[in-house]
Amino acid sequence: MTTTSVPEQEGPTSGRRAALWRQVMPLALLSPAVLVTLAIVFFPMIQTAWMSLHNYVLFRPKNFDWVGLQNYFNIFQDEVFWISLHHTILWIVITVPAQALLGLATALLLNQKFPWRPLARALIIIPWALPSVVIALMWAWIYDSNYGILNDLLLRVGILETSIPWLANPDTALYAIILTLTWQGFPFFAVMILAGLQSIPQSYYEAASLDGATPWRQFWHITLPGISGVLFTAILLRTIWVANSMDVIFVMTGGGPGYSTYTLPLYSFLEARTNLNFGYGSALAMTFTLMLLGIVILYLKRSAKAVQ
Amino acid sequence: MKRTISALALLAGLAPGLASADSTVRFWYHFDNPENPMGDLVAKFEAENPGIKIDAMNVPWNSYYDNLYTSIVGGNAPDAAMLKMFALPRLLEMEALEPLDDRIAAWKGKDDILPNLFDLTRAEDGKQYFLPVQYVALYLYYRADMFQELGLNPPQTCDEFRDAAIKLTRDTNGDGKIDTYGFGFRGGKSGHEHWGSFTLGRTGVALDQSLTSDAGAAGTQFVIDLFQTDKVFPPSAPNDGFQEIIGAFKTGVTAMTIHHVGSSNDLVEVLGDKVAATTVPECGGGRWTTFGDESTAVLSNASDKDAAWKWISFLSTAENNALFNTATGQLPVTQSDTAAWQGHEPRFVEATQASLPFAHLLPASSNTPEFVNTVWPANMQRALLGQITAQQMNAAIAGLFTDD
Repeated sequence: MTTTSVPEQEGPTSGRRAALWRQVMPLALLSPAVLVTLAIVFFPMIQTAWMSLHNYVLFRPKNFDWVGLQNYFNIFQDEVFWISLHHTILWIVITVPAQALLGLATALLLNQKFPWRPLARALIIIPWALPSVVIALMWAWIYDSNYGILNDLLLRVGILETSIPWLANPDTALYAIILTLTWQGFPFFAVMILAGLQSIPQSYYEAASLDGATPWRQFWHITLPGISGVLFTAILLRTIWVANSMDVIFVMTGGGPGYSTYTLPLYSFLEARTNLNFGYGSALAMTFTLMLLGIVILYLKRSAKAVQ
Repeated sequence: MKRTISALALLAGLAPGLASADSTVRFWYHFDNPENPMGDLVAKFEAENPGIKIDAMNVPWNSYYDNLYTSIVGGNAPDAAMLKMFALPRLLEMEALEPLDDRIAAWKGKDDILPNLFDLTRAEDGKQYFLPVQYVALYLYYRADMFQELGLNPPQTCDEFRDAAIKLTRDTNGDGKIDTYGFGFRGGKSGHEHWGSFTLGRTGVALDQSLTSDAGAAGTQFVIDLFQTDKVFPPSAPNDGFQEIIGAFKTGVTAMTIHHVGSSNDLVEVLGDKVAATTVPECGGGRWTTFGDESTAVLSNASDKDAAWKWISFLSTAENNALFNTATGQLPVTQSDTAAWQGHEPRFVEATQASLPFAHLLPASSNTPEFVNTVWPANMQRALLGQITAQQMNAAIAGLFTDD
């Protein structure tokens, strides 16, 4: 048997040094990540806030005139902002719950024992793994009014008499894209909830069965509380991601027809990137960030209480 | 002594090469055609100009100008690029272009460029920043077989066009559903070219305050009525872009559409003699079609402007220009290549030439890109869907150009 000699502490000075090192080490180890985050997240954010207070059009780079809050005042008189805000609310309020419910149902199914279950679990992740552009192009073809498979199927079974231009009709375009995003995002919920389900001890269900609890009561009193933490985190993350997501809309309709599929991130992007109006585009982005921040703080406060 | 002379001779031979060996010209272009001959052109140029390397990048069209403007502001612009006239005012405001007058004056290829192309591509300050590299004019494609079947003549006026479109919109297989539409209208980006042919040819109407006149509103209303009342566009028209209008025409979903000679080979491959061409119809007293220009330019930040000029002038020189246009499917700008041109069936080249007298460029305004990219598509789509009136749409466009 060998023993390893531990150097003896040499008085109070070395003790203070060790204590100081214990305090500094985490900061030293974290600092590269913090510095990178500051450089690529916080600096552009501050730059965006600064630009939003100026009249800055990219093709007139020499003109960078201070306008104070004028861009923000203009936003509230801008018809397209209100249209985009309305669409953004619909976009979040429909997509996130639809993804969560579909993900929950899928997770409950995948938690059952059946042949080829590992294969089913692997396949279910495909929509989440596909790039957004591929998904957007694929669904744009599915919805196509001349050649799309959706119209073809509905015409064949007699539900439709004439093709519907799903993406060219202002009444259906936004909902068609919401369905696409629901399909893309539900595997995230399914995988997260499945992980939560597997952490619930089987003995809870056995005890509940012995006490005569129905499957519904088992779900309500054991399953749901068991996955609430996971569900809370997943909903928070998806709300932020869905709110900011504009790639699928951009590829499928570019915001059209008219402003029918404009959301605030898309409007901000088009204003800055296409019209090169970086001042106004930044003000739109800042306004939306503040709104989203408000919602997230509210959700965090309420949900943290509920989970406890 | 002999060895010394040999060494000097070797150094003398290497010197010019060493002097310019570092020149790399970063060139941006946009080709839709997958058969891209740029590699052949670059190889030929590099063989003729040892010491200059060409780094040619094919940038997707949809984000071409977004990338270009941001690269200029970001200090990472290419040395030379393919450009359209509508971008000229913005690029001049950004001081991003190098004047080419002296270089063109000293260039032996200048006399071979088609007449008027230098005039058309001259900037408002009287200087020449662009070197033409290709051109087209838009015209009306129609299905000759369908016109013959219904005893129709190619439309020469808006009334004839409307009449033909209504007759061509029909159920051809007897299932009670419309399967062929009269006209494939482009409601998405760049669809202003279709709208312009029905609106901007009218007497006294142009892309300015005159759009709000009764004649201007009548043009837009004509387009709206074709969609809402006559239903001669496919229902997807408000969102349709290039792929959709050409796809629908190829498959017989539409009987007419407007585009340029660049699509003709593709259409002939599918439809053969069934596809024909004529000029856009006369509407309200005149005709208007788009002159589709494309030039090259040297950017002011270019590290070696001489090398960049050598490259762009190479592309507008006979033979090279023909090879370039074989890929883009458009028409060469040199007189020598035009005389020997066999890149398209003659009927489409004739339709292009017949359209030149009334072919127009968009206004030289900093707001023109905004008109093309967002203002026209959003307002046209809203007007087609009944969300705004023709007068409101025209007022929005007129406001954009009046603000300027």
